[in-house]
Amino acid sequence: MHVYLYDEYVNKKKYDNVLARIETRITDLGLNGKIIRLGVMKNIGEAVESEMKRGAKTIVAVGDDRTVNKIINAMIKAEIHSQLSAEIPFGIIPIGKENNKIADSLGISEAEEAGDVLSARRIEKLDIAQAGNHYFLSQAKIESRGTTVEIGKDYSIEIMETGEINVINLSVFSNLPENANPNPQDGVLELYIKTKGARTLKQFAPQENQSLFSLKKLTLINKKSSIILDNAIEIATPAEISVVKKLNIIVGKERKF
Amino acid sequence: MGEALLTKNMFKKQDDREKIKEVETIIGPSIKVKGNFNGQGNIVVEGSLEGSLKTNGDVFIGDKAKITASIEAHEARIGGEVNGNIKVKKYVEVAASAKIFGDIECSSISVEQGAIFNGKCSMVSEKKEAKEEIN
Repeated sequence: MHVYLYDEYVNKKKYDNVLARIETRITDLGLNGKIIRLGVMKNIGEAVESEMKRGAKTIVAVGDDRTVNKIINAMIKAEIHSQLSAEIPFGIIPIGKENNKIADSLGISEAEEAGDVLSARRIEKLDIAQAGNHYFLSQAKIESRGTTVEIGKDYSIEIMETGEINVINLSVFSNLPENANPNPQDGVLELYIKTKGARTLKQFAPQENQSLFSLKKLTLINKKSSIILDNAIEIATPAEISVVKKLNIIVGKERKF
Repeated sequence: MGEALLTKNMFKKQDDREKIKEVETIIGPSIKVKGNFNGQGNIVVEGSLEGSLKTNGDVFIGDKAKITASIEAHEARIGGEVNGNIKVKKYVEVAASAKIFGDIECSSISVEQGAIFNGKCSMVSEKKEAKEEIN
């Protein structure tokens, strides 16, 4: 059975029409299943774990990047704590244009298309990274000022300008440098550092404000700033980041990897 | 990396953009790397590096880069300041803007007028290199 987890914000009246259209499409495609509405009183971890135990065929996040992050965390934690199978495919129905970069990157740019994507059931095994005790699919972001990046015992990176550090698994960027080619299936993370003072490509030089590293494991340290995972969750540093798992994710034909 | 990029002309202007696309690591101008950096692919350094830099690919040291490290690579183009020894299997191009304080070991070298080079340069022939590999 398909299990649809509706995030709390989709209960707003402005989403009534789009949800009605999606529900009709899902019924037409024969994909209807159980709907769980997340809220303050609903423990997402328990809800996901109990549906996984009952043998859910697909778990679908109906919401945004934050919803995706919450459900992925719940699925992996349920797998670890209760030794449940992590083979259950995970799908996304993006609601609202804002903060739905993960779905877009997976080739699900419109809510109305999501039903067809679920129906096509194109499953890819994607890397899931861990930062501290949390998991993420797309990226970990922190401001560069005061941040040190440690790569094992081998070397460390200090950033001397203000800007942003991104540890990318699944890219949600539209303007990455040509050299960067993050692949969420290769077990490697791209460390992309962008600092202020951007200039155009110069002769004999890369763009002056961009740095790029391919890494398997790194630690971010910043006493003042926290890391933001999947544009959704803030965690404190120091945090070790690496690819730890794979998850079956239903993707669209237009995926960007 | 394509064969064409391994030629002696790899750092000529027309190849540069293509070359940069093949880069695996870029150490930008605002970045300071401390420690032993080991890479597999091509590396561009525009910032500063202290320790050692080792790769099977090529190294491109930008004009404003400041390196206090030993460098080992397949080929190299030095444009900035390097305090340390440079060991390159094939070709080293030393640009006019380069300041090198250390020894260079390579198979082939070109030094542009204006470059500062204080150190020894020893040429390792490809024949000798091949012999060493067999042994």
